[in-house]
Amino acid sequence: MNSNETVAVRMTGIVKRFPGVVANDGVEFGARLGEVHALLGENGAGKSTLSNVLTGLYRPDEGHMFLDGHEVSFGSPRDALNAGIGMVHQHFRLVNSFSVAENVVLGDQTTSTFLNTNSVADTVAGLSQRYSLAVDPRAKIWQLSVGEQQRVEILKVLYRGAKILILDEPTAVLTPQESEALFVTLRAMVAEGRTVIFISHKLDEVMAVSDRVTVLRGGKTVGTVDTASTTARDLARLMVGREVVFNRVERAAHPDAHKTVLHVSSVSATDDRGNQALHEISFSVNAGEIVGIAGVSGNGQRELAEVIGGMRHATAGTILIEGEAVKSGSVRQSIAAGIAHVPEDRLHTGLAPSHSVEDNLILKSYRHRPMSKWSVLMRKTIKSNADTMVERYDVKTPDTATPVRLLSGGNVQKVLLAREFSASPKLLVAASPTRGLDVGAIENVRIRLVEAADKGVGILLISEDLEELMSMSDRILVMYEGRIVGNVSAAEADRESIGLLMGGVTTAGAQ
Amino acid sequence: MKSPVRLERRLTQPKSLNWLVPVLSVVGALVIGAIVLMLTGKNPISTYHRILTTAFTSFDSLEGTLRSATPLAFTGLCAAITFRSGIINIGGEGQFFMGAVGASLAGIAMGGQPKTIIIIGMILTGMVFGGGYAAIAGGLKAKFNTNEIIITLMMNYIAGIILDYLIFDSNSYWRDPKSFGFPSGKPIVDAARWPIFHLGMDIPFGFVLAIGVGAVLWFMYSRTRFGFEMGVISDAPAAARYVGIRTRWKIVVVMGLAGAVAGIGGASDVGNFRHILDAKGLQLAGYGYTGIVVAALARYNPFGAIFVAVLIGGLTNAGYALQGPDFPSGLVGTLQGLILFTAVAGEVLTRYRIRRAGHEAMAVTA
Amino acid sequence: MNHNLFVIMAASAIFYGTPLFFAALGELFAERSGVLNLGVEGMMLIGGVTASWTSQHLSGTSWFVVLVSILVGAGSAGLVALLHAFLAVTLRVNQTVAGLAITIFAGGLGLSSYFASVWGVAARPATHPIRILNVGGFADAPIVGPILFHQTILTYFSWVLVVVSTIYLFRTRIGLQLRAVGESPQTADAMGINVVKYRYIHTVIGGLLAGIGGTYYSLTVIPTWVDGMTKGAGWIAIALVIFGFWRPDLTLVGAYLFGAFQSLSLILKARNVHINGDILNAMPFGMTIIILVVVSGGWAKRRLGAPASLGVPYEREER
Repeated sequence: MNSNETVAVRMTGIVKRFPGVVANDGVEFGARLGEVHALLGENGAGKSTLSNVLTGLYRPDEGHMFLDGHEVSFGSPRDALNAGIGMVHQHFRLVNSFSVAENVVLGDQTTSTFLNTNSVADTVAGLSQRYSLAVDPRAKIWQLSVGEQQRVEILKVLYRGAKILILDEPTAVLTPQESEALFVTLRAMVAEGRTVIFISHKLDEVMAVSDRVTVLRGGKTVGTVDTASTTARDLARLMVGREVVFNRVERAAHPDAHKTVLHVSSVSATDDRGNQALHEISFSVNAGEIVGIAGVSGNGQRELAEVIGGMRHATAGTILIEGEAVKSGSVRQSIAAGIAHVPEDRLHTGLAPSHSVEDNLILKSYRHRPMSKWSVLMRKTIKSNADTMVERYDVKTPDTATPVRLLSGGNVQKVLLAREFSASPKLLVAASPTRGLDVGAIENVRIRLVEAADKGVGILLISEDLEELMSMSDRILVMYEGRIVGNVSAAEADRESIGLLMGGVTTAGAQ
Repeated sequence: MKSPVRLERRLTQPKSLNWLVPVLSVVGALVIGAIVLMLTGKNPISTYHRILTTAFTSFDSLEGTLRSATPLAFTGLCAAITFRSGIINIGGEGQFFMGAVGASLAGIAMGGQPKTIIIIGMILTGMVFGGGYAAIAGGLKAKFNTNEIIITLMMNYIAGIILDYLIFDSNSYWRDPKSFGFPSGKPIVDAARWPIFHLGMDIPFGFVLAIGVGAVLWFMYSRTRFGFEMGVISDAPAAARYVGIRTRWKIVVVMGLAGAVAGIGGASDVGNFRHILDAKGLQLAGYGYTGIVVAALARYNPFGAIFVAVLIGGLTNAGYALQGPDFPSGLVGTLQGLILFTAVAGEVLTRYRIRRAGHEAMAVTA
Repeated sequence: MNHNLFVIMAASAIFYGTPLFFAALGELFAERSGVLNLGVEGMMLIGGVTASWTSQHLSGTSWFVVLVSILVGAGSAGLVALLHAFLAVTLRVNQTVAGLAITIFAGGLGLSSYFASVWGVAARPATHPIRILNVGGFADAPIVGPILFHQTILTYFSWVLVVVSTIYLFRTRIGLQLRAVGESPQTADAMGINVVKYRYIHTVIGGLLAGIGGTYYSLTVIPTWVDGMTKGAGWIAIALVIFGFWRPDLTLVGAYLFGAFQSLSLILKARNVHINGDILNAMPFGMTIIILVVVSGGWAKRRLGAPASLGVPYEREER
């Protein structure tokens, strides 16, 4: 498909199996010198596996790899680094207690036996200037913002002289404006003849930054196309395998819509390190209303969800449910007040992974009748409760005694939603409820949320996915550095202005 | 440079592994032990044969085995319930000592009371002393998040020193004023001696009590709210916080409970067997550490712990009985250590399956 | 010789602290690579008994026998550490239980006692103990003489080790990579560092040093073998690593502090000061608990915490 001299990397017939799944099933992939090549696919399509094969982290079970026309086989990440392949991982590979310079030089076998941090720092400073990746080489990683940490990751691979850079979902942690800056850097690198492989599932980004796109679905290559000759809609069809349009769901206002379910009044809270994470936040959610919270992760959303759910003490302010104050920092009080909470980390916070479906379904109700009497668990009741729930929420599981960690992501979320809705809550706080799920499961979760809202439950939907917020919410609040910096009705919201607010740029128009 | 074998994560755990792993662990340990014996010029077959006949093959030998098994059942249960809750309590040793201190106090001081009352008193004081001692470590963990492994270990040594102090280096209530040349503990009153049931063979009351305690613990962990909460805490601490389980307090309770169980063990040592606070004998026995072997081999199951205690008790019993110039000291401890190795290595089989690298591709496509 | 209490205290603090330091430095290396090895006590005892045996059976000049004995002691403990590395790194078992298994297997009631019994090690004293030196004839110099110039060769070796290991850990490329393996094996792996190799090597180095610590007990402190003669020194060594915030220099300071406690009861007895010996014996253990409580507090933990991946097995293909 390409003439040999312009091909930087070619992978053919790549197969990688894991227990129970074939993550790559005969993948074909090729990227040219001097291009941004996007690797597009849903979660679980095999993008990360393929890039881990290319960087030597995984060894493929079958298939061949060629660099500059020569077949290569990597036994370890070191081989791939030496061959000029560098990767910027989605979850940063950085040592938090080390300085930037130490991280950059880590693993480089060509440096002298004794460390000379000063000369490394100078080199790093030079590189960061050349690619406009501003970061202090002497700062410790834990002192840096997420965006800066990502720059360190990029500097690391540049320092190693990588000719092929792989970036795994690099914009997931960035504001739209930071993403723009990243794209400029990527362009500069490509102009020097390097190859950038850009992994994403976001169509608009892929359209904006890439020269060509390879689409993966279910571990197989669906096709490679020139970006210029395709559209986002075509790519979406390739990616999902059918037509998908997430349109705004227009819902009639709920008859009780005037009733305020949740009122958050001047709430402040600190994060795990003791730094102030919420600054006197106030807002409310009405019955049957879906209120979205937009923002780059780490701007206080998690703390907000935890304060409402009772997992975190508010240092100031009050939470009112239907006008009654809820005691701060008490999960049991929050549950009793009718607050349901779908946490971000479903499997380890929302559920006990090694416990059965049955046990997880009573995680919030085991204290009371009919699930327990005189401190003794009523196993028969618990079992029949599970049978009912599994059927009603269509959970795919061999039986109710199966540990939830063995279920698929979508079914894990069904168990969690089943438990939370079974308590007939007044308010549901959902943090990134669709992240990491496949399309079918995402639809299922969204339908459940809308159903609940139609029954009068107030829903606070926290998400980093703007598309999701805009298609589901009635109203969108934007969080930035622990404050609510915007409040827009979803019908009038546009990506641009919300993106600016997420980056902390408040303009008169957006207020 | 492909490695010849690799570990692959299991998606399901076959039930048969529950008994297969412990059995293979013991067999594996005996095989490695045999190699050690041969390398040092001993005959493994005759050595093992002697251990077997000394420990299990007659009512007489079984009586000795049950005596050795009783303390191990308690320390095994003590380790099992904490390990199950995700707390690494190595302090069974010291908690056992403190239980013995408490029970011997009751056994001496309650003279004149009816037998039943004294025995109940001994059990309760044993529980309070052992449980209280363990709760200190639990409290430090809950309050300051200290490493319970090191703390409980240090407390074992301190408990040993407390025993030395009470018997050898002071004129305490526990020391027998009639012992001059070599100090020893004051005997408990006759009525404080625990019964031994004669059912074809002698079965100490303490062993029966251990079975009872095992049953209570099993019920607690599998059927009660408390056990459910402990299970959630050890499986996913974040989930426990998320559903409002008070984690800190539970750590103290579980440690106290485990210490109380070890404390009953200490009480049985005084009431059923030694009838004094035997400072030297307790420290030489190492019941607490052996209890960890028992718990690990039983895969932290309360009933399993009783069964394994009998097995390991037999080994210990044989070690005592055979002690002498032609039976090397340390052999029993070596075998126990080997069993613990093979038991933890065997755990790997429950989580992973082992594949030969060359064959894996075929195995999956087939 | 009529030295004042301080001089005797300082000299014996170093004398009794030296084996603790060897064992603690060994554990420090293992922990810096992310491997928790609770088998120090067992490794020390195995080192002690094999060194004793070697000293009894080898003929040659004294310094040659001592050198070989130390090497045998270190090597045999290193083999036990290799077993721990296999369990902890390759099989990825629970490191706490594996370490306990090492101590039960090799410890005072286990293999070290078995060896002592089948080889008859306890029957006679070491033929060639490690002697206290008179360096440059300065041993009688006032104050510094007994403290600095009247120690065994192993003490002087330990001072070299503090410097070398500090430079190794904090000033060399390999030390940086070692620390990265202990902090974030994912990062180290992605940067082409062989996590398994680093963990194996440093766990075994830990064993070698623990073995030297054990040798010090059986050839210097009491140059006759006694079952379980380290009496919990291995556990104190583990606590010392925490006390020293995973730094060799502070660990040395801690070791001498604990050495001082150990020597205190002997000194006071010799001076006819009547303090109950049990209280003094309990001091090192009590101190360890107090220190653990202090350093587990929020501030110390944030600033000087343990390697972030300590005790966590590393598995690459996690899905």
